Amino acid sequence: MSNMAMYRIAGGDFERAGAASSGLKDMLKKVGVEPAALRRAMIAAYEAETNVVIHAHRGEMRVTLGDGVLDVEVVDEGPGIPDIELAMKEGYSTAPPPARELGFGAGMGLPNIKRNSDRFQIHSTVGQGTRLRFTICFAPQAAAGRREGSLRVVAGQCTGCLRCLSVCPTEALRIRGARLAARKAEPQVLEHLCIECGACIAACAAGALAPRGVEEAFEGLAGAPLVVPAAFLVQFGPRVSAAAALAALARLGFDTVAVTAGWEQALRDAVLALAREQGCRWPVLSPACPAVVSLVEMRFPSLIGHLALFVSPVEAALRSAAGRGAAVVAGCPAQCSVLGASRERPRALLAPRRLALAVARAAAEGGEVSHRGPGQAPPDRSEVGGLLRVTGLRRVMAVLEKAENGLLADVPALELWACDEACFGSPLLGEGPAVARWRWERCGGTAGVTSRERDVAAGAIPREKPFAARRGLRLDDDMARAIAKLAELDRLVRELPGRNCGLCGAPSCRALAEDIVLGRAERSACLLGGWRDGDVPPPRRGEEVPR
Amino acid sequence: MRLDELAGRLGARVLTPEVDLARPVEGVYAGDRMSDLLNHAGATTLVVTNLATPQLMRAATLMDASGICLLNGVVPEPALLAAASAGGTAVVVSPFGMFETCGRLYQCLSGGRRATPQ
Repeated sequence: MSNMAMYRIAGGDFERAGAASSGLKDMLKKVGVEPAALRRAMIAAYEAETNVVIHAHRGEMRVTLGDGVLDVEVVDEGPGIPDIELAMKEGYSTAPPPARELGFGAGMGLPNIKRNSDRFQIHSTVGQGTRLRFTICFAPQAAAGRREGSLRVVAGQCTGCLRCLSVCPTEALRIRGARLAARKAEPQVLEHLCIECGACIAACAAGALAPRGVEEAFEGLAGAPLVVPAAFLVQFGPRVSAAAALAALARLGFDTVAVTAGWEQALRDAVLALAREQGCRWPVLSPACPAVVSLVEMRFPSLIGHLALFVSPVEAALRSAAGRGAAVVAGCPAQCSVLGASRERPRALLAPRRLALAVARAAAEGGEVSHRGPGQAPPDRSEVGGLLRVTGLRRVMAVLEKAENGLLADVPALELWACDEACFGSPLLGEGPAVARWRWERCGGTAGVTSRERDVAAGAIPREKPFAARRGLRLDDDMARAIAKLAELDRLVRELPGRNCGLCGAPSCRALAEDIVLGRAERSACLLGGWRDGDVPPPRRGEEVPR
Repeated sequence: MRLDELAGRLGARVLTPEVDLARPVEGVYAGDRMSDLLNHAGATTLVVTNLATPQLMRAATLMDASGICLLNGVVPEPALLAAASAGGTAVVVSPFGMFETCGRLYQCLSGGRRATPQ
C-alpha cells in the first residue's frame, strides 16, 4: 500500500513558499498520522522546500507514503552545494539578504531536516542541482505494540520452577500464581519488554513456552524451497555430515535448500564494506540477529543509528527464494516475528524437531552416513577486517553498554548474536552450540554446501524501513509523571527485601517495584515482608496472587 | 490560558474574528527566524513576531500554532489575514512592541506550565 504525490516548487517565489508542505500536510492528516510525526514531517518538508525557493531555479518534491513510512525526495535545478559538510553545520548559510529579511537563512535548514527525519541523504553537483531525501517513520510506539509477539505460553504446563525468570535478559516474564501448586502457575509475557530471544524456551523443562505460529508438519511442503539455518544441518550426530543432511532433505522432497550461512556471510561483507566507507560512525552494528536488533531498539536507542540498514540473513534468504512459496525452519521466536512481518510471507514456519527426526531417519535409510576424516578447517572469515563477533546475550549486553558509552570507537563493525555461538545455540535445536558449530566448520562451512544453493544466490538486501525505538522501559509517556513514578519506584525498591526470590512472580524486587508503580501488581505480592507499620500484610499462603 | 482570554489581558485586537479563539496557549515563541519557529512552535504556542508576511503565516499554520501576535498595532493587508483565516490560524495585534508584549505575556502565562524563552 503506497500513495504518491508530486509538488512543483518555483525558485525565488517567496509568496508561495510552503505551499508544497501544506499539500503534504493535508495528505498526512487524511491518513491520520500521529501529531508528533506530522510535526517532524512538516519541519523537514518546509525546510527542504524553502531551500529550493531560496537557492534554486526550480524543483520538485516527490512524496511516497507507504505503510508507516513517509519518503520525501526534493530535487532541484540550481547552483548545487560545493561543500555539504559545511552546509550541514548549524548557523552556516549562503542565503541572500532578501531571504534573510523574511526570516530565512538562519543556517539551520539542513541540520533541522536531519534532526527531524529517521533517514537523511543529500547529494549535490555544483552547477546542476541538489537531491535531498528524507524518511520519517510513523508511530514506532504503536508499531512496537501492534502485533502479538512470537512467544507463546502453553497452558497448563508451567510447574512454577521459576527458571525462566532468571534467564530472561530483559525481565519480561512474570509468573502468575508462582506460590501456588505446580501446574497452577502460568507465565505471562510482557510483550513490550520481550525481545523474543527464546532463552526462556531453552530454560523451560516443562515446555510451557514455545514460539508462536510454527508448524510441525512438513509433509505438504514438498517441492517448496526450504530456508534452513546452518545449525539445522549439523543436528544429527557425528555420523551424518551437513552434506548428508542436505541429501536427506532432498529425499524428503526439498530440492532447493537455502542455507542461511551464505546470507550471513553476504551481510558480513556488506557491513564491513559500510564500515570502511568514509565518515562512517564506528562501530557499525550488524542486524544479523533479530533478537539483538530488538534489544537495541528497546534498551539502547542511542545506538539505533549504528545499525546497518539491511534485513536479517533469514529474511534475505526468504526473499531470495521468494515467489515460490518458501518454507523456513525457524530458529527462534525473534526470527518468526521478523518473517511474519516480512514483505515476502513464508509459506510455512517449521519447528525443527519433527523435520530433524525425519531427516535423521532418511539419512540412515539412504546410507548417506559418512565417516569424514579430519578435514581442513576453513578459515574463519568472521574475524577478518575488524569485525568483532560476540555471542550470548549477557556478553552482548555488556558490549552494547560499552558501545553506548562510546568506548568501542576503535571497532569498525560488531556482529552480535543473542544465542551462544550464534544460531548454533538456537533454543529450538538440541545439539550443543559449540559442538554444532565445530561440526559445521569441520565439514567445510558454507563452501561445503554451496552446490545445493545453485538456484538461490545469497546477497545482502537493504531494508526499506529504518529501525525505530521501542517503548520499552519508559514508565510514562508524560515526562513529569514518569519522574514521579521513578521516585515512587526508588522508594519501593528501598522498602522491598531485596532478596530477588521470585516468589511474587517477578524476576527481581526491582521488577516487582516497577510492576507496582505501573499497576501490574499489588504491594502485598511480596512474601518476605520488609513491611512497615500500617502497610497491608502479605496474603496467606495459597491465596491467589493479585495481578 | 485560552487565546481569547490572553488577548483580552494583553489589550490585543483580534484581526481574524471568524477563527476559533478558544485554543489553549501554554508557551510563546517570539522571534523572526523561520527555522527556530519550526523547532519551537507547537499546538499550544503563540507566535509573537514583527514579520507580517505570508511566509510566516504559512509556517505558523503548518506547525498548528495557537495563533500569531503581531506588534506595535500594525495591521497587515486584508489578503494576508484572509489567508491566515483560511488556514485556521488566529491573528491578533498587540498595541505594544516586542519587549513589552513579551513581558506582559510572561506575566499572564508564568502561572501556566512554561514559557519558551527566546
